[in-house]
Amino acid sequence: MHAIEVENLSKTFQVRIKEKGMRGSIGALLHPQIRQIKAVDQVSFAVEEGEMLAFIGPNGAGKSTTIKMLTGILCPDGGSVRVRGLDPVKRRKQLAYQIGTVFGQKEQLWTHLTPYDNFRFFGAIYDIPDRETEERIGELAERFALEAFINTPVRNLSLGQRIRCEIVASLIHKPGVLFLDEPTIGLDPVVKENIRGLIRQMNREYHTTILLTSHDVGDIEKLCRRIIIMNAGQIVLDDSMEHLKQYYLSGERREQERNGEIQVHGSHARLHRHEDAESVDSSSMSLEDIIMEIYRAEGRTEVI
Amino acid sequence: MKKYVKKPSMHETQRYVCGGLRGRPGRKYGVIYQSVLLENLQYAANLAMGFFSYFVFIYIFIRLWNYMYQAPRELIAGYAKEQMIWYVMMTEMIWFGSDSGALTRQVITDIRGGNIAYMMNKPYHYTLYILAKYTGEWSIRLPMYALLATVIGTCMVGGIPGFRVMLLPVMTLCVVLGITINAVFKICISLFSFRIEDATPFLWLYDKLILVVGTVFPIEIFPEELQVLFKLTPIYTVCYGPAKLVVDFSAGKCIEILSAQILYLAAGCGLMFWIYGKGVRKLYVNGG
Repeated sequence: MHAIEVENLSKTFQVRIKEKGMRGSIGALLHPQIRQIKAVDQVSFAVEEGEMLAFIGPNGAGKSTTIKMLTGILCPDGGSVRVRGLDPVKRRKQLAYQIGTVFGQKEQLWTHLTPYDNFRFFGAIYDIPDRETEERIGELAERFALEAFINTPVRNLSLGQRIRCEIVASLIHKPGVLFLDEPTIGLDPVVKENIRGLIRQMNREYHTTILLTSHDVGDIEKLCRRIIIMNAGQIVLDDSMEHLKQYYLSGERREQERNGEIQVHGSHARLHRHEDAESVDSSSMSLEDIIMEIYRAEGRTEVI
Repeated sequence: MKKYVKKPSMHETQRYVCGGLRGRPGRKYGVIYQSVLLENLQYAANLAMGFFSYFVFIYIFIRLWNYMYQAPRELIAGYAKEQMIWYVMMTEMIWFGSDSGALTRQVITDIRGGNIAYMMNKPYHYTLYILAKYTGEWSIRLPMYALLATVIGTCMVGGIPGFRVMLLPVMTLCVVLGITINAVFKICISLFSFRIEDATPFLWLYDKLILVVGTVFPIEIFPEELQVLFKLTPIYTVCYGPAKLVVDFSAGKCIEILSAQILYLAAGCGLMFWIYGKGVRKLYVNGG
């Protein structure tokens, strides 16, 4: 059974546009103009149970919109989504018991409470009996080495400690799928490595399916076996990390074909929608360079 | 196109999570309430800062009504001087005691800032989450203001004429219902932020209407035509009703006010869930 199944998923946003200055403001009031932006366009992919998948792309690529549709936050305009067999829109509350989310830039912990009180709180939110919550806290506190600060208010914790607590809070209810959105943002290299180790351990021991979004190539390289790259609302690459590295880093030449699809020699990689033929010498390129090259190949020149 | 084969039942899904359906309805909102209570207890001393404003406000009204009532047994709009002052003290107690950041800012900020998206994928209803948070906030504030009002009132005005302690539970229920109705309607207004850029001006208007019409003056002060109108608005159930029962209790009035409160609460909750349900489907959250 697939943990996540996405078929032809689409989402269009309506954005009001306005000419500059006072005249433009009045004009927009009288004759509002609306531009349609296709944030996600016919995206399809599937994720196996227990898989760790990197879901990346430049800013504005549509990856966060896709994740929000996967977690039931946004309603798709078209296509279908199943996360652990559930439709996220129709059964959002039920799905909430099956998934966990960690957003590196958004706190879900209550900052005035201690991590322990927070974990008890999340245990109750997910309808877990007190005794079971206690056992789970004990187990996770040991795994994530939280004992030293589990009774310190969250507002007094360092960023690395807080992120560890955020991950633990998202694991209290034993989710089958975990969405990690930039979990290592702002962390120093040592703490980053520590968090990566914990994520790996979590995946190995609990068989949790992990969908990781990050701009940090280190996260992707060290954690994931498969990578999906999105750009301009579409998937431009869906391949195993092994193949991506092997065929780019070993000095193979990437060939783009005018027929709309690129074949990376010997790999399963699928690169969609390229129109211009070009050759890129990828010898001695780092993974970051390769990813930037893929972003650029889709017409995106400014990569942040 | 892949077809979804088997739809797991509610029971199967829950069983996967933690071994069975074990959640008691409302338990999670009780925990939210407790957590806010814990959080706010740390800042109980800060609340005392608001006592000064309350005292100044009440002092001005005591002076005002002392001036307005020239004869000791005079009635204005059916209220004796002590009743009128206690009425203002009760409504102001509700006003100050139920003032909350969760209601005045959080919903609008959550919607405008997109934070609501991160709360929607938790297994609780967002509006009930806000209500539980709000209840946690006023549960500390209101008793403190009630104590202050009792001390100020007893010292400066004397006891409430005809007040019976045995009626306190029903009066308390009426106050709690009034505060909850107010919260529900404020959440409804805040939820307009799904549609419009900012619902703050509407919230401000609603607050001022409640303050001027139901809080500072009892409804009977206004012309009869307006009284009919006011009795059809939440004002009747939020401030006027509870304060009226405290200063001038009658069984008939009590039944009338409690019935109106239950109706308003049911209608308000229905409206709140409907606006939220519609708004969530239109939610526009972009960016990582």
